Amino acid sequence: MFAGLQFEPTRLPHEAEALRAEVREFVARELPPDYWPNSDFNEGHSPDFSGRLGERGWIGMTWPKRFGGGERTFFERYVVTEELLAAGAPVSAHWIADRQSGPLLLNYGTEDQCRRYLPRIAGGECFFSIGMSEPNAGSDLASVRTRAERVSDGWVVNGTKIWTTDAHRNHYIITLVRTEPPSENRHAGLSQLLIDLHGEGVTVRPIKNLAGGEDFNEVVFEDCFVGDDDVVGEPGNGWTQVTSELGYERSGPERFLSAFRVFVEFVRALGNEPSAGEAALIGRLASHLMTLRRMSISVAGMLQKGGSPVVESALVKSLGNDFEKLLGELVRLQAPPGHARLERCLRQTLLHSPSFTLRGGTREILRGVIARGLGLR
Amino acid sequence: MNGLIADTAERIFSDHVDRGVLDAAEGGEFPDALWDVVREAGLHLVGSPGSGTEDGDLYELLKVAGRHAVPLPLAEVLVANSSLDEAGLTTIAVDGVAPWGRAADRVLTVEGEISGDFDVTEGANLAGESRDRIKLRDPRRVDLPARFYERMALSRAALMAGALDRILAMAIDYATEREQFGRPIAKFQAVQHNLAILAGEVAAARCACDGAIMSAASPNFGDAVGAAKTRVGEAAGIVAEIAHQVHGAMGFTHEHSLHHFTRRLWAWRDEYGRETHWQERLGRRVAGRGADSVWEFLVGIG
Repeated sequence: MFAGLQFEPTRLPHEAEALRAEVREFVARELPPDYWPNSDFNEGHSPDFSGRLGERGWIGMTWPKRFGGGERTFFERYVVTEELLAAGAPVSAHWIADRQSGPLLLNYGTEDQCRRYLPRIAGGECFFSIGMSEPNAGSDLASVRTRAERVSDGWVVNGTKIWTTDAHRNHYIITLVRTEPPSENRHAGLSQLLIDLHGEGVTVRPIKNLAGGEDFNEVVFEDCFVGDDDVVGEPGNGWTQVTSELGYERSGPERFLSAFRVFVEFVRALGNEPSAGEAALIGRLASHLMTLRRMSISVAGMLQKGGSPVVESALVKSLGNDFEKLLGELVRLQAPPGHARLERCLRQTLLHSPSFTLRGGTREILRGVIARGLGLR
Repeated sequence: MNGLIADTAERIFSDHVDRGVLDAAEGGEFPDALWDVVREAGLHLVGSPGSGTEDGDLYELLKVAGRHAVPLPLAEVLVANSSLDEAGLTTIAVDGVAPWGRAADRVLTVEGEISGDFDVTEGANLAGESRDRIKLRDPRRVDLPARFYERMALSRAALMAGALDRILAMAIDYATEREQFGRPIAKFQAVQHNLAILAGEVAAARCACDGAIMSAASPNFGDAVGAAKTRVGEAAGIVAEIAHQVHGAMGFTHEHSLHHFTRRLWAWRDEYGRETHWQERLGRRVAGRGADSVWEFLVGIG
């Protein structure tokens, strides 16, 4: 048996299951009858919908009440997020802030930062982007070149971040920067700064993706001043912080549900009495979904116990992303013609599929993390 | 769940299941000494009424058995004894074939017929495990508990989950010891990535199996077992393939013990419904509910 690969069987507690009906009822009421469900957490940026979720207390659910949170369990948060994703609700506006920026501030931020940002995030009014990748630092995150130089009461930032989802419509970006010149220890001298995306010295340029969408951006910092009170955690501790942030980023249900609408429409297109082969494909995909869900719930249990399931999260994401790609490919081969909804979902999923195994850690990086967990490196 | 049972079983199987026992069993000889040890420890009654153990313990014990490729009809004995409240060596026949029919006191069929008087034609599966053709004489009918076939399918999934665990450990050990080009092959990225895939499949298989074990008392047990048997079966093929690739020609020899586990996976994934059997069944259940209830259905299984 190996440390790092223990997925304890975990059942969602009753109080979490009880939320399910509430979320379904909320979604049915809030979204118009002709609403076209998103198939991905990255689609559907709706400050309005996020605001209403915030009012219900479904953002920042696990955070302390004094910071606007709900002091609820990771299991309750899990149920809310998976129900929203399964319904294809427009969640991208608050997703990053709820999933990782808020928890990062809670873990490493000052009392003052928590007071300033968390209640607004939990209210669904304040949205964050992730400032990690750079034009020359993708998977090799430790090689970031964006630098912050010390001035009397803060830092001056110069450099470029890229692939920054929703930077053109979010409020803040938590930016990984080099605060000391590179040394032998590549992970030393990195820090995280919280920067206003609409502030001086910040330019956001959307980048069109191959599907024609403009979700991600290039973010350029030119002599952008950041006050000492917006440094997240200790200067120099950036690597540790980023690593812990990725544990939150990688294990959630969004990592295996990106092609879920294809599955739903496939079942619809085949009707109530599929052939043996068609039924077997439905069953095969269902067995994968059920298993990934069990794994993701198990990771929620680890988070609930205060653990830092870095390897387990990488494993869930890696399996989940491969499944998301496989789903579209297998359904395509057995899709009956003449079903417009299914065709639309398939097209959408295929066009976005390259990003599944890139964002949030490439397949190659994740396999490296798993290999390290197995003691191979 | 009773951790003590798993610990006891781990100790007993580590001490009493070795290469010699496995090879002798494959040669057709029932491992009487091992069976005596198992009986003395009371492991043959795990999961039975009045034994102080639960259904879940039965499958946990089978995972340990799978990890050691225990050459006894343990799944059959445990499921039969817990279903009939008996204590002997009862094996279970499906499609007329039963493990170790030649050594059994009684044969029970999955249709619910039982007899202590039967004809045996010896046979084996591709792992060399006894799979004897059985013809019952004067069988009587017994009432089997609900979802008997599903319990047998889960028992196979549990054995497979154990074997998968063992194969992961073997592959990691081998890759960290075997040197080529002046370093352990575990240091090569291509090998690391294959082992990462292998580990992912093993973890998924274990979660699928544990999920079904967890739902033993739920009305959704059949669906959970179906998902487990197919997911574990899918993992088995991938894991066996990668494990052999990592072990190179050494793992292809009879001398190396990897095949005790990989051949069992290849055999067990076909027993009690191969992947497509359960996929089709699960798929029909999903389709029957309709597209707009797909999510509700999946979540309901747990």
